[in-house]
Amino acid sequence: MAGKQKEKLFMDAVKKKFKEDPTDMETKYYCYGGWKQSKSKVEFQKSAQAIAKKRGFPMMNEDIGVPLGQRAWMPYQLSHTDIYVEADDLHCVNNAAIQQAWDDIRRTVLVGLDSPHSTIEKRLGKEVTPETINSYLEAVNHTMPGGAIVQEHMAEVNPALVWDSYVKVFSGDDELIDEIDKRFIIDINKLFPKAQAEQLKKAIGKTVMQAVRVPTIVGRLMDGATVSRHAAMQISMAFISSYKLAAGEAAIADFAYSAKHQSINMGSMMPARRARGPNEPGGIPFGFFADMLQSDRVYPDDPARAVLETVGLGAAIFDQVYLGGYMSGGVGFTQYASATYTDNILEDYVYHSVDVIKDKYGGFCKLDASKYDELIKLGDDINAYALEMYERYPAIMETHFGGSQRATVAAATTGIAGSMATGVADCGLNMWYLSMLQHKERTGRLGFYGYDLQDQCGSANSFSYRSDEGLPAELRGPNYPNYAMNVGHLSGYSGIAKAAHVARGDAFTANPYIRVAFADPSLVFDFANITKEIGRGGLREFVPAGERTAVIKG
Amino acid sequence: MAAYKRQFYPGTTIPAKNRKKVMDPKVKLKKLRDVSMDDVVRIMGHRNPGEDYKSIHPPIQEGKEPDCPIRKLVEPIEGAKKGDRIRYIQFTDSVYFAPISPYQRAWMYLSRYRGIDTGTLSGRQIIEIRERDLEKLAKEMVDNETFDPALTGIRGATVHGHACRLDENGLMFDAWQRYVWDKNKKEVVYVKDQVAVPLDRKISVGKPASMADLKKRTTIFRADGVDMREDKEVTAYGLRIHKLRTLGGYQPFNVKDV
Repeated sequence: MAGKQKEKLFMDAVKKKFKEDPTDMETKYYCYGGWKQSKSKVEFQKSAQAIAKKRGFPMMNEDIGVPLGQRAWMPYQLSHTDIYVEADDLHCVNNAAIQQAWDDIRRTVLVGLDSPHSTIEKRLGKEVTPETINSYLEAVNHTMPGGAIVQEHMAEVNPALVWDSYVKVFSGDDELIDEIDKRFIIDINKLFPKAQAEQLKKAIGKTVMQAVRVPTIVGRLMDGATVSRHAAMQISMAFISSYKLAAGEAAIADFAYSAKHQSINMGSMMPARRARGPNEPGGIPFGFFADMLQSDRVYPDDPARAVLETVGLGAAIFDQVYLGGYMSGGVGFTQYASATYTDNILEDYVYHSVDVIKDKYGGFCKLDASKYDELIKLGDDINAYALEMYERYPAIMETHFGGSQRATVAAATTGIAGSMATGVADCGLNMWYLSMLQHKERTGRLGFYGYDLQDQCGSANSFSYRSDEGLPAELRGPNYPNYAMNVGHLSGYSGIAKAAHVARGDAFTANPYIRVAFADPSLVFDFANITKEIGRGGLREFVPAGERTAVIKG
Repeated sequence: MAAYKRQFYPGTTIPAKNRKKVMDPKVKLKKLRDVSMDDVVRIMGHRNPGEDYKSIHPPIQEGKEPDCPIRKLVEPIEGAKKGDRIRYIQFTDSVYFAPISPYQRAWMYLSRYRGIDTGTLSGRQIIEIRERDLEKLAKEMVDNETFDPALTGIRGATVHGHACRLDENGLMFDAWQRYVWDKNKKEVVYVKDQVAVPLDRKISVGKPASMADLKKRTTIFRADGVDMREDKEVTAYGLRIHKLRTLGGYQPFNVKDV
């Protein structure tokens, strides 16, 4: 079956990586000059030597341990861009864009205005009007970065450190939004294609929601759990000032309460053994995560791109930052994770899947999810294509030289196809596990040890909704019991959740508020262009927030 | 009722038959070479040939074993009786038609040996066992048809290479170059041990097999060899497992015709 048709999407990347034909099984090794063929390693060595000299004892040294660079040093193409970088440039500690993507998620909390407005009107008998809302928004955009508003003689935060902090509002109520100062609005009508905007406005209704962006530096100095606290404190202060309230009156507690407990965090709290509060990556449900991704807003005619971007950011946040950093520690999982968003390999498989689905069923969501044997047949076809490509093109086999990379990419493809064909994310999830079992059977190998854990039992829980046994795919997350410790999976699961909903033409996956909040052009990281942003990070062109240079002399 | 007869593995194609063969303990695997026991010990690098085995507990007969019915049932392996430490051998198997691959190694070990602990990853497969038993097992594995000098690597650390293209002599990539091509003898020789400590002398593990021969010996399904989908029984078996697991966890009442 496979193999035929168009030029493979990974061809440009592999031709740039290797001088041999992508189908050649042989090459030369041990003759490329070791790590010196890598610009970044040369830079690192020089830098480490200077540091060692300055501090008087050794630092990093590329000559310690296994001889690096025994193979031709591969550049990595950021998928669906023309940006090439070295693997080092994709390490989350080296890449300011990946860090900012995570910062932008962590520093976001959504706080409704309906409850405080109700308190002001019903309890205090004061009027809430578009004018008072504008006045409040001006005040809260002063307090949120760290401005004092109620007490005299207060220390404040240097605005140059917290330029990224702000509060904006949005609502499904066009009439009200028309009367609010445009500078404070996330405009659903302007930012989303019409059909998506209508769905979102209907889901949000008359609720007025604040998208609060706490300063990046606050999230970094404290943690995700502090974000809603910082927001609550500064929101309360802004209310006191703009509505001329008494600082001690009981109504203020209502504002703080609603800001802390009637708000939407991006991630839920994790159990004590994982020791993370809310708004840390382990608590983000896949559906919430899918809603942060904005490709389908900007490129609504390219659903595959939206899915691939979701997988890409999932790899960066869940695999690189969370599992590679928070949970594992150490040098992390850069190359493992970046396999999903580099070199257009997953791209080729997913676009192929889209073609197959359209050919077979005449479009997305036309395969009846209850026809399980047909779903399995589709999964078998898609997975066979992905695995066959690795076998027909040794260049991509070597590009994904770890079995975990291939297992993730093949299973993500199969799962995404299942989601898009049926419009049901659980079907996609079930196809992920089909891919894993078939991959192991076909090749006699799969990923690292962890694949024996969740991928051998996943078939049995993929459709289960019973408490303690399962959840709809959109509401599962890194903290779902079986998913808590396996690198290379969470990115795919995020994409599978997204795939079902973009295929259906849904404007959001799980949460319309999150979807709108991340459409905001004032965010530092552009959630509609993930690989481009990560590529800019790799090229050192991305300018992040939260830097301390404003308070450092020289 | 007739006694259950182990089938080991489904399928009729060459990789499927080879899987059955390696798993069936009644089948004696072909010996293709004879690397001396001392050389196998040198390559593994845990002890020097002739050196005493290090022990981690007194011989079982000298100790006071608790009164335990399981201990009475299970005959300890030799190394356990003597109190040997537990050491390992780890093989990396190339995707390019290596004679065996990691999961088949695990299944083979578990089917053929006692007292082992195996771990399976994408490229490599470790087996841990008491040291004197390990040496016997390791020699069997290096000598028999599951080993190919070019496509099977003996590697303790820095194991990757299973998915890299082959070098100009057809050897699987090894960042440590523990083995090299002897162009005069046309053989593969080990110059470093399992963890890349240089050996005092080169150890030959023989001539690599031809690709034609490897394609007959491999347990790996590949599109450019035997595609798994050509083996209807293997394909059906995989799909059936997935379907039964799915239904078992979701709609057990719909599991029919098992």
